[in-house]
Amino acid sequence: MSAVIQTTKLSKVYESAWGGQDVHALKELDLTVLPGEIFAYLGPNGSGKTTTIKMLLGLIFPSSGEIEILGSKDISSSKVKRNIGYLPEGAYYPDFLRGEEILRYYGKLYGLRGADLERRIDQVIETVGMTHARSRLLRGYSKGMRQRIGLAQALISDPQILILDEPTTGLDPIARKEIRDILAHLRDNGKTLLISSHELLEVELISNRVGILYQGVLQAFGDMDSLLTNRDISINVSNPPAAALAILEEKGIRKEDEAGGSAKLRVPEGMSVYDALELCKSQSIQLVSVAPRRETLEELFVRTVGAAEAKEKVAQ
Amino acid sequence: MNALTDFFRGPWTIAVYTWREGMRKKTLVGFLILSLLVIFGSSFLAAFLDPSMVGDVESDMNLKLIKDICVTAIALFGVLITIFTSASVVPNEVENRVIYTVLSKPVRRFQYLLGKFIGVQLIVLINLALMTGLFFIALLVRQSVMPTLLLWSAMLTYFEFLIVSAFTFAVSCTASSSILPTIGGLFIYLTGNLTEYLKDVNVRAGQTDQWLDWLIGKTASFLAAVLPNLQNFSLKTQILNGQPNDPPTDVLIPNLICYGLLYGLSGFLLSYWLFRRKEM
Ligand SMILES: Nc1ncnc2c1ncn2[C@@H]1O[C@H](COP(=O)(O)OP(=O)(O)OP(=O)(O)O)[C@@H](O)[C@H]1O
Ligand SMILES: [Mg+2]
Repeated sequence: MSAVIQTTKLSKVYESAWGGQDVHALKELDLTVLPGEIFAYLGPNGSGKTTTIKMLLGLIFPSSGEIEILGSKDISSSKVKRNIGYLPEGAYYPDFLRGEEILRYYGKLYGLRGADLERRIDQVIETVGMTHARSRLLRGYSKGMRQRIGLAQALISDPQILILDEPTTGLDPIARKEIRDILAHLRDNGKTLLISSHELLEVELISNRVGILYQGVLQAFGDMDSLLTNRDISINVSNPPAAALAILEEKGIRKEDEAGGSAKLRVPEGMSVYDALELCKSQSIQLVSVAPRRETLEELFVRTVGAAEAKEKVAQ
Repeated sequence: MNALTDFFRGPWTIAVYTWREGMRKKTLVGFLILSLLVIFGSSFLAAFLDPSMVGDVESDMNLKLIKDICVTAIALFGVLITIFTSASVVPNEVENRVIYTVLSKPVRRFQYLLGKFIGVQLIVLINLALMTGLFFIALLVRQSVMPTLLLWSAMLTYFEFLIVSAFTFAVSCTASSSILPTIGGLFIYLTGNLTEYLKDVNVRAGQTDQWLDWLIGKTASFLAAVLPNLQNFSLKTQILNGQPNDPPTDVLIPNLICYGLLYGLSGFLLSYWLFRRKEM
């Protein structure tokens, strides 16, 4: 499958004008986004996500390395740009315009005209749930409404690729779910999405592949399913006596959380489940269930970033 | 042909929205209203206050004063509008990051700049037309002849503004706020009106042998050579003293238009060169 977005040894150095320190925001990044997937681009603050995205859109220029989008290296050509919808981080729109006027403006910039354009405007306004406020001035929009209009302008040309920099920041839980559903729907219709986000729980629900960036270097990259391998087993028990738990803890079986009289015990890596169950039995702990437990994206994130941090400390 | 219309579509859309946004700016509307008040106040009110004087010598003096005020008001407010608009359209969009969404559309940087620049010219032209129009009516009412000279003057003034606008715009393409380019624009306007004086500086400086004088002289003559001479575009003397329906004398209109267009074009190309690789 040929990549939709491909970067090769992409680097960015922000040079400081007054003899201060240069910032190496991105270091030889090799990124591949495949057609029809939701690629989650993750990383702590300042790790270089926005920097990458801005380079993809030609807002800033690589210090070295290459970018190829839809098989073309001329990423500022209108052939490529026509196929990209972009939602900037903390976006802002001309606020003297009405919601629908903004979309008309951006639609025209994509080359849409007349009835075609009006139909698209109606569609995307409907999609982002802004029909009720379409003829209100943007000045009077709330943060979430702006974000929705932002998403609508990214969708206006029905592009193949969507690049969204923190699309759900500042939205309420219902809006988040709505946007998540929209994004999943777009993916199901064959669109390719690159999403940068800090909302790991959300991202985990919809994305196919992830890349975790730390200080400009990809620390983990690949299929969600293959990255979240660190599966372990958890044993749910009811009303465990504290003394029994203490003994189990000595053997390495930790209590994860406890609620309403039942507790979740985590079997450590390397220990056989049978041994763990044996131990529970010996302490007369009442068993409720035994279940495999997949690592969450959050855990992967913390683990990956933590390891990168530790490596850096050693290097220093 | 198709490729050509395709190329200009984006810029034209941007120009129209720039114009719409610009006409909502408080500073701009403020300048426009002020200038219209000055023109209206000086020409109409004077006539209403003292209708008996029409026709005698004193009224001629009066008329000259009114013309002086109006011509000055148009030049002054016009150039302020030009500078403020040219200095702010691009930096404002950089500052509030609207530019991210625009440049990520199928619009090349050249097209973006062209659109913004045309938008500025629309704003400048419309304001100039409103001011001149009011002055035109005022003179027509007073003197009962078509003051066609004003139209020539407005046209030349526009080309003067075009030069100021293009270079202010170029400065604005390097800046991230409109303050620096506004100051730059005022500087361009002032020095552009002082080129005669700059030549003079060089002549005088050449009379001593000190190196500092030599340096100042050379700098002045360099500036005089590269800077446009904006005084060329003024028909003020003729408006004040001549017949209002005469064609312009003492100026070569086609040459001035070419002069304005050439400087305007170089200013615009300079802005593109500065903006081409600008990091947003
Ligand atoms: N214009 C700039 N000039 C200098 N340094 C910059 C500039 N923009 C970003 N940086 C630096 O580059 C690094 C990466 O920033 P970037 O905005 O790409 O991070 P991010 O991953 O998007 O972070 P966040 O999650 O906070 O949005 C940071 O160290 C930042 O300080
Ligand atoms: Mg960011």
